[in-house]
Amino acid sequence: MVREAVKHIVIVGGGSAGWLTAGVIAAAHCSASEAGLRVTLLESPDVAPIGVGEGTWPTMRDTLDKIGVSESDFIRACDVSFKQGSRFNGWVNGQPDDHYFHPFVLPQGYGETDLVSAWLQGHANLPFADLVSFQPHLCVQGKAPKQKSTPEFAAVANYGYHLDAGKFGLFLRTHCTEKLGVRHVVDHMAGVNTHENGDIVSLQTRSRGMLEGDLFVDCTGMQSLLLGQHYQVPFISQRHALFNDTALALQVPYADEHTPIASQTISTAQHSGWVWDIGLPTRRGVGYVYSSAHTSDDVAQEVLHSYIGQTGGPSGAAVPRKLSFQPGYRREFWHKNCVAIGLSAGFIEPLEASALALVELSASMLSDEMPATRDAMDIVARRFNNAFTYRWERVIDFLKLHYVLSQRTDSDYWRDNRQPESISERLRELLVLWQHQCPSRYDLSRVDEVFPSASYQYVLYGMGFRPQPRATLRRTDSSTAAHAYFQEAAALTRKMLPALPTNRELIAHIQRNGMMKI
Amino acid sequence: MSNPVVLNNIDHKNLRVITKRGESFGDNVMTVFSFAQEFRNLQAHYPIVFYKSEDGTSFQAAALLGLNEGENLFLGPDGWDADYVPLALQHKPFLIGKANGEMVMHVDMDSPRISRSEGEPVFLEYGGTTDFLDRMSSTLRAIHEGLEHAPAFSAALLEHNLLESFVFDMEHADGSHSRLSGFYTINEERLSNLDGTALERLHRAGYLQSIYMAIASLSNLSALGQRKNRSYAGRS
Repeated sequence: MVREAVKHIVIVGGGSAGWLTAGVIAAAHCSASEAGLRVTLLESPDVAPIGVGEGTWPTMRDTLDKIGVSESDFIRACDVSFKQGSRFNGWVNGQPDDHYFHPFVLPQGYGETDLVSAWLQGHANLPFADLVSFQPHLCVQGKAPKQKSTPEFAAVANYGYHLDAGKFGLFLRTHCTEKLGVRHVVDHMAGVNTHENGDIVSLQTRSRGMLEGDLFVDCTGMQSLLLGQHYQVPFISQRHALFNDTALALQVPYADEHTPIASQTISTAQHSGWVWDIGLPTRRGVGYVYSSAHTSDDVAQEVLHSYIGQTGGPSGAAVPRKLSFQPGYRREFWHKNCVAIGLSAGFIEPLEASALALVELSASMLSDEMPATRDAMDIVARRFNNAFTYRWERVIDFLKLHYVLSQRTDSDYWRDNRQPESISERLRELLVLWQHQCPSRYDLSRVDEVFPSASYQYVLYGMGFRPQPRATLRRTDSSTAAHAYFQEAAALTRKMLPALPTNRELIAHIQRNGMMKI
Repeated sequence: MSNPVVLNNIDHKNLRVITKRGESFGDNVMTVFSFAQEFRNLQAHYPIVFYKSEDGTSFQAAALLGLNEGENLFLGPDGWDADYVPLALQHKPFLIGKANGEMVMHVDMDSPRISRSEGEPVFLEYGGTTDFLDRMSSTLRAIHEGLEHAPAFSAALLEHNLLESFVFDMEHADGSHSRLSGFYTINEERLSNLDGTALERLHRAGYLQSIYMAIASLSNLSALGQRKNRSYAGRS
């Protein structure tokens, strides 16, 4: 006899986190079939989704492929462009030529030999990313990461997406309800009914009575209705490490329909934070995310307007949308028979687009480890909490890495960011190690790391950090293999630049003709 | 470069065309385009494969003549080493172009095949067409008609999900390895799983026979590999 089999998952919240989670679970657990796991998504008609994070990691390609959407449909429906990484302007010292790339493609020969020593010995005048990877050169030229003939989800150069998060939620909703058998209930959650052991038995809805379920997924955004408000799981603030807690966001039109679409997220450091600039096919999404303790909203708005004016946007004073948030995450993410995914679990500033990546990782672990019975649930919950506490800590360390290495002295914001008490002990230790060795799999030992060690290298060396030679010689110090990889990267650059269309050309082509599946 | 002009028996009265095969005439190509109607003639000699159009919207059939860019393993010291030369090479230096809205025969005056002293005469002494020119004219017509039908053939293959990408790995006589990729072939399992209605539609459109010929032609892949190895032997 199966004891209290888990047969019905209820997801609360109809933003991109809710629908992504619904899609991942429904596709893997045959929700469209009678014999599969039932998935119901409860969405309030009153609460508008916040539409956070218009950038994704390359993992989104796998996620979308797995849930069975067509990439062509997705690109057409969600105002999607291709993202090949990030470009950081002004983060090192704020001088006019201060910029570096963090591309998605790993360095050529990564893990095969010591690229870093060879870079420092032979090519120290070149930016690390530009030497070891072809991708920054594609970004500079506004190139797309694939050809018109490249099949759906396949890449010439590794890529993720920039997208309209509002449209993304709607697109996933259609796919989930029409193809994957997810039941969509539009109603307001009015209360929570619990069992005497504390488990949620059902949700009280305003007009449809009780909605029963075996496992409840809290995708209610920052309100965190189930995990935070109902269960009172404490919130661990990270304001001491990452100061940004406010964002002003604006949509900026292109000058005309021929303006290039940037193939990477552009992040420009400012007095008390940084400006994101994301190129969608129809508009740019631009926003200033900053520390409210270091500047005022009025000054922030001036900074945002001045950035938009300097980058070809209209000089008119549109009023930005303001978002306030507490940087941090919950002490646990899975409590009793309730698991939080998305902003209900935690939120950190949008640097490096970790929000949707964490949603994907959470949905995929929940789906892979879906407890078959209530008995199994506490065990799975413990593993889930362990995995995601680790992941949140790594996200915070990786984001903090961008700040601690800055040499900017133009404000307290940048100086405070280098205060030792704002840096985790683990990151301080890593920085000591990295003075003589490069970030590697030893530093990031889990299988599903949010950011690969190569990303740490791109940021570390992009920010101007230079490892010192050891006192003693190693065989890998005089590697000729590394130089062959540098040449390989250069050869690939020469080969790809003329063969790839621009980001705008490819998107226009896909909107007209779509992409083939083979 | 090419310089196509409308063919006429006044300007081109003394024109001759060299029909020899060789690198100097631009015959050193790895693939030539083809179409379903030519498969019967191709399949005895060449692997028939498909490649995606540059804009990624359709598939084009091709005869595989070599295994590397610029390599034609059917070009020997004594010319073409097979009984049949694909139409896509046969028609040169002639081509079809539009003049005053009509399809008329053009000739590429920059082609290395153009001559006044050597090769096949194009016109008879008093302006009539030679048998050679008549053959060229029907070759061009066959290509034109074949290419007109090609999009429908490609669409039928895609509709039934019959194409799959393939790679051909080879170890050469000199010990080196190479991989042929970027081409597509017919997926036989999906073909054999088609229901009667689908098969009948393919048959009535005249595609079923071509599909089987394309499958059968792949036995020429290993022969092509052997040609490659013989070319190594000839070099050493």
